[in-house]
Amino acid sequence: MSGLTDRSWWPSTPAARGTVADAGLAALPTALAVALGVVPLGFLFVESVSPPVTLTNYAALGGSVYPDVMLRSLGIGVVITGICLTVAYPVTYWLAHRCPARYRLALLVSFTLPLWLNYVVLNYTWVWILAENGLVNVLLTETGLADRPLDLLRGGASVVVGPFALPSLSLGLGFVHIYLPYVLLTMYVSMERLDYRQVEAARDLGAGPVRVFRDIIVPETYGGAVAGALIVYARIAGAFATPQILAAPSEQLIAQVITAQFYDVLNYPFAAALSVAFLAIVLVGFGIGALSSDVRAELGRW
Amino acid sequence: MTSGSSQMTLRTDGLVKRFGDTTAVAGVSLAVEPGEFFAIVGPSGCGKTTTLRILAGLESPTAGEVELAGRDVTDRPPRDRETNLVFQDLVLFPHMTVAENVGYGLARDGVPEATRREQVEEMLETVGLSGFGDRDPASLSGGQRQRVALARALANEPSVLLLDEPLSSLDRTLRTEMRTELRRIQRDVGTTFLYVTHDQESALSMADRIAVMRDGRVVESGSPSTLYNRPRTAFVADFLGDANLLTATVQGRENGRVTVEAGGGRFDAAADTGVPDGSVTIVIRPEDLRPGGETLSGTVRSVSYKGAHEEYGVALDGGDSVRVRTRADGDVTVGATVGLDVLDASLVTEANTEDGE
Repeated sequence: MSGLTDRSWWPSTPAARGTVADAGLAALPTALAVALGVVPLGFLFVESVSPPVTLTNYAALGGSVYPDVMLRSLGIGVVITGICLTVAYPVTYWLAHRCPARYRLALLVSFTLPLWLNYVVLNYTWVWILAENGLVNVLLTETGLADRPLDLLRGGASVVVGPFALPSLSLGLGFVHIYLPYVLLTMYVSMERLDYRQVEAARDLGAGPVRVFRDIIVPETYGGAVAGALIVYARIAGAFATPQILAAPSEQLIAQVITAQFYDVLNYPFAAALSVAFLAIVLVGFGIGALSSDVRAELGRW
Repeated sequence: MTSGSSQMTLRTDGLVKRFGDTTAVAGVSLAVEPGEFFAIVGPSGCGKTTTLRILAGLESPTAGEVELAGRDVTDRPPRDRETNLVFQDLVLFPHMTVAENVGYGLARDGVPEATRREQVEEMLETVGLSGFGDRDPASLSGGQRQRVALARALANEPSVLLLDEPLSSLDRTLRTEMRTELRRIQRDVGTTFLYVTHDQESALSMADRIAVMRDGRVVESGSPSTLYNRPRTAFVADFLGDANLLTATVQGRENGRVTVEAGGGRFDAAADTGVPDGSVTIVIRPEDLRPGGETLSGTVRSVSYKGAHEEYGVALDGGDSVRVRTRADGDVTVGATVGLDVLDASLVTEANTEDGE
């Protein structure tokens, strides 16, 4: 049979042809995802096991300060996500369901204003506010509330909760300031989709505010919270400037260590291994989180 | 509050609700007895849904009082009221199973899990959904979702169940079926139902008593048959079913009845309200005009076949037009002259409210 007349490869039913068309449509986003995500990650991974093929770089992750740095980065991610969500839940709930419609857009834009500004500049505003001769300390000493300037900037990072250290005041404020807009946006999208009558239905059936939040708002806006947390983690994985400006000396974060390996030590394979490892930990964390929350939902049903 | 309020499950006194410049509810006073199926009907925008939301505690009234089983609950939040609401679009919780939806109110009342499970199963049985407990609400049909919404609102045994047109999204056949079901369930559980709808047919077929609302006020209230057969206002006559409204002059009166002249004939009409002098309005239901009589005469202008019956449009010799409904026998044709007897007629006023304002 000649290849020209043999059409056996061509689907004979409309449904099967539809599948071919679907595959065609899916090709572009798939190609993008591969080009922008999978390929660079592949290179990164190859670099991290070079010279081929060795696990020395990964073995070195267990030594020196690296476990501490990773743990600290993860812990600060938890704290920052928690603070951002604590602020974002009431704010976006009010904005989506209580705020008069004519103010909504203006408020949403102003909440997200920090997104439009350079975050290095935003971080430096905290230096100006928290420094030894900064705004807060001037106010405190002038009013006599404090005898001498407090150590607000890059200090006091010693509170440890479980395996995680809390960020210092200045680092925490700096991170929340620049990440909160992202969390507000993702939460607002979810909150707007929440049917307010579900809140009314729950109240009607006897739910108080806490129950409404637990039973209706959290499950219905779960997606927005996870998206917000993902963004916070993605940003913290790459956060270099903020800790340089606002972190206490003891608060080295993962991005600083990776940058140092790239620029100062020129140890590319080890820098790559650090990146891959942190990504893997975050992804596994989210995986477990997603699973356990499903499990929690199942358990919490009755 | 007036005496005897303890007899009433639900009582409102002069409810007013204003949103900015608009007055949605303009002084509604209702008294619903225990176990009653009470319907509030009215055109859209008449304030019936707002009234219901005030009763549920989801809105607070600008003025007036709500009393439940003798207790003033005007300022109590929804969870402190023994009312539950069935929403127009049902609003089932999408992230919970059918059983979780139904058990939600019980759980909030602190009913222990084992008891709750039993009660939920019982309630599902009552609404005809045994064995559906583990299903996802999204996987149910429209009628089944109605039943879940009903079960959810009934499960923790409210003293009054408020229903906001829950049947409006169903097709005609299913709606008719669900009306019968609602009535059956109401009798089974014995709960007081307060049903809000713009569909007069639903109200007439289900309710023990009806209040007809217009422009934020109750125009008339009473049993379905009283309101249908003896409406006191032209609005209620017209809103509850089809009505021929004729201008008439009163010729004579004797206890509760008047003789009127209208449409070129003279006949008797019921007059429950005070009879004004001069020109009055008379309502005659289309089925209360019988062809083959002599009281009125006119010319048939249109004939429409409706299956079980026929409707004629008749231009009376006296100038008015009326609709006539009769058994379909197909012997009336357009252009024919027809004589009509008036079997029943009522004198109505144009006044807007029960107080005659």
